[in-house]
Amino acid sequence: MSLADLPLHDMQRAASLDALCGIVAERHARGEATVLLAGGTDWVVEQELKPPRGDADPRPLVVDVSCMAELRGITATRGLLRIGAAATYLEIRRHPTVIERAPMLAAMARELGAIQIQARGTLGGNLATASPAADGVAALAAYDASIVVKSVRGERRIPFSALQTGYKQSTRAPDEVIVAVEIALPPEGSPWLWRKVGTRRAQAISKVALAGIAVRSEDRVVRLGLGMASVAPITATLLQTRALVLSRPLSAITADALDAAVLSDIAPIDDVRSTREYRKHAAKAVVRGFLRDLGAPV
Amino acid sequence: MKITLTLNGLSREVDLPPLVRLLDALRGPLGLPGTKEGCGEGECGSCTVLLDGEPVNACLVSIGQCEGRAVTTVEGLSAPHLGPLARCFVDHGGAQCGICTPGMLISAEALLARRPDPSDEEIREAIAGNLCRCTGYQRIVDSIREAARERREAGGAA
Amino acid sequence: MTTAAQNASSARPPFIGTNVPRTDGASKVTGRAAYVDDLPREPGELFGATVRSPVPRARLRGITLDPAFDWSDVTVVRASDLAVNEVQCITAEQPILAADQIRHAYEPVVLLACADKRKLAQAVRAVKLDLEPLTPILDPEQSLAKVDVIWGEDNVHKRFSITKGRADLPDPAASAAAIEAAIASSEVVVRGRYTTHHQEQLYIEPQGVIARWDEKGVHVTGSLQCPYYVHKALVHGFDLAADRVHVTQAVTGGGFGGKEEYPSVIALHAALLAQKSGKPVRMIYDRKEDIEATTKRHPAICEIVSGCDRDGTLRALSIRILMDGGAYMTLTPVVLSRGALHAAGVYRWDDVRIDAVAVATNTPPNGAFRGFGAPQTIWAIERHLDRVAQELGRDPMDLKAQNMLREGDTTATGQTLRGSVGVAECLEKALTASGYHDKRKAPPAVRGRVARGIGASVFMHGAGFTGSGEKHLKGRVAVDLLPGGRLRIRTASTDIGQGTETVFRQIAADATGLHLADIDFAVPSTSYVPDSGPTVASRTVMVVGGIVERAAREVAARVRAEQETSGGDFAAAADRLLTKEREVTALVQYEHPGWVTWDDSTYKGDAYPVYGYACDVAEVEVDLDTLEVTVTGFWSATDVGKAIHPVMCKGQIEGGSLQAIGWALWEDVVWKNGLIQNPRMTNYIIPTALDAPPMHVDLVEAPYAYGPGGGAKGVGELPMDGGAPAIAAAVEHATGLFARDLPLLPERLLELQTNRKG
Repeated sequence: MSLADLPLHDMQRAASLDALCGIVAERHARGEATVLLAGGTDWVVEQELKPPRGDADPRPLVVDVSCMAELRGITATRGLLRIGAAATYLEIRRHPTVIERAPMLAAMARELGAIQIQARGTLGGNLATASPAADGVAALAAYDASIVVKSVRGERRIPFSALQTGYKQSTRAPDEVIVAVEIALPPEGSPWLWRKVGTRRAQAISKVALAGIAVRSEDRVVRLGLGMASVAPITATLLQTRALVLSRPLSAITADALDAAVLSDIAPIDDVRSTREYRKHAAKAVVRGFLRDLGAPV
Repeated sequence: MKITLTLNGLSREVDLPPLVRLLDALRGPLGLPGTKEGCGEGECGSCTVLLDGEPVNACLVSIGQCEGRAVTTVEGLSAPHLGPLARCFVDHGGAQCGICTPGMLISAEALLARRPDPSDEEIREAIAGNLCRCTGYQRIVDSIREAARERREAGGAA
Repeated sequence: MTTAAQNASSARPPFIGTNVPRTDGASKVTGRAAYVDDLPREPGELFGATVRSPVPRARLRGITLDPAFDWSDVTVVRASDLAVNEVQCITAEQPILAADQIRHAYEPVVLLACADKRKLAQAVRAVKLDLEPLTPILDPEQSLAKVDVIWGEDNVHKRFSITKGRADLPDPAASAAAIEAAIASSEVVVRGRYTTHHQEQLYIEPQGVIARWDEKGVHVTGSLQCPYYVHKALVHGFDLAADRVHVTQAVTGGGFGGKEEYPSVIALHAALLAQKSGKPVRMIYDRKEDIEATTKRHPAICEIVSGCDRDGTLRALSIRILMDGGAYMTLTPVVLSRGALHAAGVYRWDDVRIDAVAVATNTPPNGAFRGFGAPQTIWAIERHLDRVAQELGRDPMDLKAQNMLREGDTTATGQTLRGSVGVAECLEKALTASGYHDKRKAPPAVRGRVARGIGASVFMHGAGFTGSGEKHLKGRVAVDLLPGGRLRIRTASTDIGQGTETVFRQIAADATGLHLADIDFAVPSTSYVPDSGPTVASRTVMVVGGIVERAAREVAARVRAEQETSGGDFAAAADRLLTKEREVTALVQYEHPGWVTWDDSTYKGDAYPVYGYACDVAEVEVDLDTLEVTVTGFWSATDVGKAIHPVMCKGQIEGGSLQAIGWALWEDVVWKNGLIQNPRMTNYIIPTALDAPPMHVDLVEAPYAYGPGGGAKGVGELPMDGGAPAIAAAVEHATGLFARDLPLLPERLLELQTNRKG
């Protein structure tokens, strides 16, 4: 059990975000890895699964960002919700603005894991690990969030649609630090759905999870965000499904067309938690459920 | 690395590699074996402690991350006497084999600190990260509900 | 402070039947209770680790220690170092370490010990096993068909047959023909095949022991249920005199059968390393190793054919049971036996033939788990009767009630039930409390895309060892008189959470008139407690509790006799007696009721002196889109004879029921090529508090005349038996999907739904 390796790692705290970017950049230039550690809910567990390293093998430097002020905090200004990369899910789900203006995010955070995990896990960590099963990332996909990243070269925003390139691959450069996520808040009262089909009711990894947010005008959906976990090598954004729904009145959406769109958007696999067939079935069912709530005859 | 933390209300200093798990630091050098290890991956909740008042799995927290922070373990809940929570677990069948009990008590304490009068559903949600294989949870829920009542009657924290 | 004497002399209300605080409670809620890994490090102590086979079947051609690795401070033990390479269980067919054959994945091959945990982890990787892989047999049906021989002459661990009525013929072929004829002549014939899967005990404290040697022999302290099983294994494995082996139970964080036979293996491993290194060795499994290497519930396939009258009267029953024993036999014959003995359910049958067989596969040995074979066969018979009810257009519980055993009826083994049959009251209470009949009559309530359903099961479970087992076992308990008129119970029955030490104190206190605080419970250590038999088989309260009662009474009688002769209070008389006799101890041995007759060769007679009974009701909600099942309510009425401690008794029923619910809905060991794909708590899914339903337990007390405390029967295993079939019946009510195979994962229900549509 290579948890025994943990004590061999060095850990630092950085004095500021700029200093942190400096450390990451310098090490990257030397070909050395840096791990930004927040809640440890993924990284520490990963260490357990890894075989022990040899004494001479290089080890990443760990920088504790769990208390770094510039990566924390949740603020809302002019319809933009900004959540620090190291804000915990517990902070997110308890934040009054989140509860009021981004209730889907609060619902997701509440079901993401048990309270012990909520108290440690962060959106930044979820994004960095980049698992397609990550509930937090599915929610960000539905909000079409922007990811704020910073390096010694400066700060930039990556739109969610431009973030993921493949299984655990992204357009974020290796020396870029995830600083925050920004969500353009939908109009108050917009219909939303967080539907997690997990291995059990709490403390579960998703077999399928759907994040949905819609803006409706009469019989039409005029804006639609969808994100789905655990159905593809990356978080699924269900672009065909979005296009279908936006293309016609709700009353003209058929179950068959919706199912076909969902199936074209996903590529689930058999794994230890579920089967390809079940994931396809559940994905169709939860999307239909959302559209039914919106008023489509499906 | 020298780390100073407040442990069960007392200031403590340890000199340990910073990535030693809080769980190992507690059970070893800090001399508090009441916090248990059941899985080592943040699933079972046996190692739940309070970090600045919030329940966390001590198997996922590094001791270096505890610098300047407050940690409460089961040993800190019942000093010097059994509080209503601990007593209710004894009286109402909330503890059987006892291995999940320290973590369960910590999660219950975190709940009651925020919600003095929780519903059964809220109790179940608060302890959903603490796996118990003995009780079926019913008597744990009963114990926490009863402790909440006693604490309210005693006028808040007791 | 009251003294023992005052308590003894003044009449007080009984402790039995009351919910006294559990006597180990305070230490558990303060974190003071010392589990094995909480025990302080001993000077020079090493950590132990096990190198295991990565494949399910192979020839082991050699073992190489990487010459580049520094082995100077690592202790290495291989099969070739062992004088005796046998784990003594029922027989000694399992090696302590694989010598030349690998028979299952994770089989131990090399043992290592080192003071540095990290170096130990590296050392494990520096051992190279030279393996020639062979095609494994992973399917019990293939094993039975002798596709290849992997164990003994024919892969068969054990066979049993039970016959009754017209099938009761000595010649198996004639008996089989007779049962077939009896069924064929019935008005309604129903056939079915029902399967169950592995289940991991998943006690929250992983297995572990600490071993050391000194001039007195070997000392092992660990997380375990049965100190004398470990003792026997160490005596055999090191060829030691019994008094040179000392096994002590640490506070144990759950067992459920998982710490019945397996601790013998870890104890042998740690003791071998300690012997070779000359240092204490601590061997604590991590969760992955625990799930992979240790025992699980036996998977089973049950094929049932039954015949009944059109009015529902059950007539003839034929059952074929096939269990997967895993790579070694270990306790499989006993598990198979209990499975066969419970296979006919709680019903009257005229003619019965049960054929049970367990075979080897190249998977880790399956072993003891609460219920011990019975949950598998009760799943089958309960589901089968639900099918029969469907066929007859009857409510299943009406059909079951019509055929339930009553006092005076005979079971499949020909046992006549002589009282303490509380099953009818259990059925009545559970169905009434849950509103079963009203809810069941109505079509399933559908709200949006969620359907609600209710289902029930009724069952019995034998208490104590089978047949003459207890007679052979001769369980013993000692009760000592201590200064001041206090008593100390010495027994090998362990408290693994179920409350043994509290309940035994209640029994001893009421047997003597003493106060609870005047009764000590000695830490179970083979050095000073007698062999009370193992902590298994729902026998602790009923069998060993009865011995405690007699022993305590005997000591108190001697003190009272002294009181009568020379006066004074109980404490003074006790002290005088101790001064005179130095030691005042009653060592009492179990006496089986004389009327219990059992024939092991024909499997006929009184399989158990008495049975516990229960009726379980589950109410579920099924999401019609995703087929997720939520249990919204669970009711059980359970006949326990007499509840010594009602809260702890209900705690057993609730905890066992949730294990049954978990087995039914979520728990699943996922295998691929003989390897476990989900050996972690992240993906071996046991229920959380949010998955667990509110539980409503009614205790029914139909006292057993020979049970302690006014008639207690066993309760440990019974609650594992009925949850799965009750849930399946509820899912069927909600969805119309009839499940024959466990677990009822949404993926499985989807398959059922697809097949039904197709």
